[in-house]
Amino acid sequence: MIELLAPAGNIAMVERVVANGANAVYVGPRGWSRRRDAYEMDDADIRRSIEICHAGGAKCRVAINTNMQSHEIPPMLAKMDRFVAWGADGAIMTDIGAIAAVHRRFPGLTIHASIGANILNDEDVRFYRSLGVSQVVADTKLTLRELASRKEHIDVGIEILIHANKCYTYLGKCWMSPYHRLERTADASGKDVFKGSPNRGGLDYRVCLEAWELYSGDERWEARVALKNDAFFLLDDIPKLIDLGVHCLKVQGREYPVAMVGGMLKFYRDLIDAYVAHPKDRPFDLAPWGERLGAIEASRDRARSEGTRLLLIEARQPA
Amino acid sequence: MRIVRDQGKRAYLTTYAAPRNDFLPRVRKALEIAATGGAEAVEVHNLGILKIAHDEVPALPAHVGGFANVYTDAGAEVLKGFGATRITPNYELQLEEIDQIARDSGIAMELLVHGKMPLGISDYCFLLEYEDKWGIKCPDLCQKDLFLRKDGWGMKSVGKGVLSGKDVCMLEHLPRLIAGGHRAFRIEAVSESPAYRREVAAVYREALGCALSGEYRQRERWWEAVRKHSRLGLCNGFYFGKSGMDYLGARP
Repeated sequence: MIELLAPAGNIAMVERVVANGANAVYVGPRGWSRRRDAYEMDDADIRRSIEICHAGGAKCRVAINTNMQSHEIPPMLAKMDRFVAWGADGAIMTDIGAIAAVHRRFPGLTIHASIGANILNDEDVRFYRSLGVSQVVADTKLTLRELASRKEHIDVGIEILIHANKCYTYLGKCWMSPYHRLERTADASGKDVFKGSPNRGGLDYRVCLEAWELYSGDERWEARVALKNDAFFLLDDIPKLIDLGVHCLKVQGREYPVAMVGGMLKFYRDLIDAYVAHPKDRPFDLAPWGERLGAIEASRDRARSEGTRLLLIEARQPA
Repeated sequence: MRIVRDQGKRAYLTTYAAPRNDFLPRVRKALEIAATGGAEAVEVHNLGILKIAHDEVPALPAHVGGFANVYTDAGAEVLKGFGATRITPNYELQLEEIDQIARDSGIAMELLVHGKMPLGISDYCFLLEYEDKWGIKCPDLCQKDLFLRKDGWGMKSVGKGVLSGKDVCMLEHLPRLIAGGHRAFRIEAVSESPAYRREVAAVYREALGCALSGEYRQRERWWEAVRKHSRLGLCNGFYFGKSGMDYLGARP
């Protein structure tokens, strides 16, 4: 049975997505995951999240997927000790050193290679498998043909982002944001949150979406060029992905309102259940699903462009 | 490689930063040529390629490049197990972190000392949308010294990639890098003219000699040369823990 994985940036979101049919939920400890600290949780809330998930029959994964500093690996392991004792079902991770350290300490724990690891080819997957990773989030630029090859040749769980940002760059291979603004600040717990660096601390100013002008030397050639960075929902590919046998469909969106994320989860729960239940000898009509998704997409677009506008204003503040 | 070696220099072979499955056969071919053609090492940015190199051409030393996202000493240890003998730590690291990784892992670090630092890599070249409008075709499009600019911000565009608009410049800080024990320095000139490569390299050759002698006296002509070649100014990248476009020191 394919797994529907939901985001949760706060306790209310954990409750909503579990109620709306998530099979698993991911949460991020403050300062340690690829989102702004406002959408991350302190350890007490991580514990509460694990309890809520388990009470609702869902798994709970902890995203500890920044590229941390060398000296942060011991405190990261101390945090993982607690999360594992509280029953966390897996860790979503990026840094290869941190992955190796967690696998040594918790050989039985499922480790998911985060989108930030940017695993592109089958040999990449084998590299991460050798470190103890058993689930891999697929880059959003990969094609079904590439996923099918991965599925056919390697014993690994494949996770697909079905709501996410499709950046101009490969995820984890972008430093545009901290080039323009990086603020080194320690939070109350002493964790450096690397404000401005998506790889190190989570907050990304989305400077790719600035209204760039294009110059050749000193001559302006274009008044506005776009480095495309769109948020997408998958629809047409969902039946194909289920048929291909991918392990997990993942919704991103810890930064959106609880009701909106709850709506996304309900939509995909209904769609997956309907597709799995329908007789295989008859075509599955996606048209009504497209209409329903359109309304969710419109509200998401409004929230996202307002978010981008505010981030670009913040990016211009002195660090 | 023969041309380089005939001049008594070391030749390295670099490989794709973001190879998808379809590129791997070409990578294997290139690794074979490097191994038999006398390359000193292969530069690897993709961990899948590192695994291939380690499995298939184990005698060829591997230098791990900046796109491989080495942020921790534990990460460097993992890569040592895959045959890495030199690492370019991620550009986001600051000098104290780099010094510590070098010390604890015992692996040599390669540091960018001058040039435009990579800021992003894509599978999509947006310049292709302008082929007809400008009357310029690929592969000439990205050779036009293109910069994305807006209200004081700037990045160099090469279509499928973005580089820092400013040139990272560590000329003033070379003694600090030497004191950290580092001995492998890179001038990133992938999108630069032959004159840039020649003149900036000459400056650093002389400056490194001077820094290693223990008496570092900066020459005005060094600064004239690096300033002449920098279109949007100079920066220090992330070495001092600031935003990448900032410059810390006496001479911006």
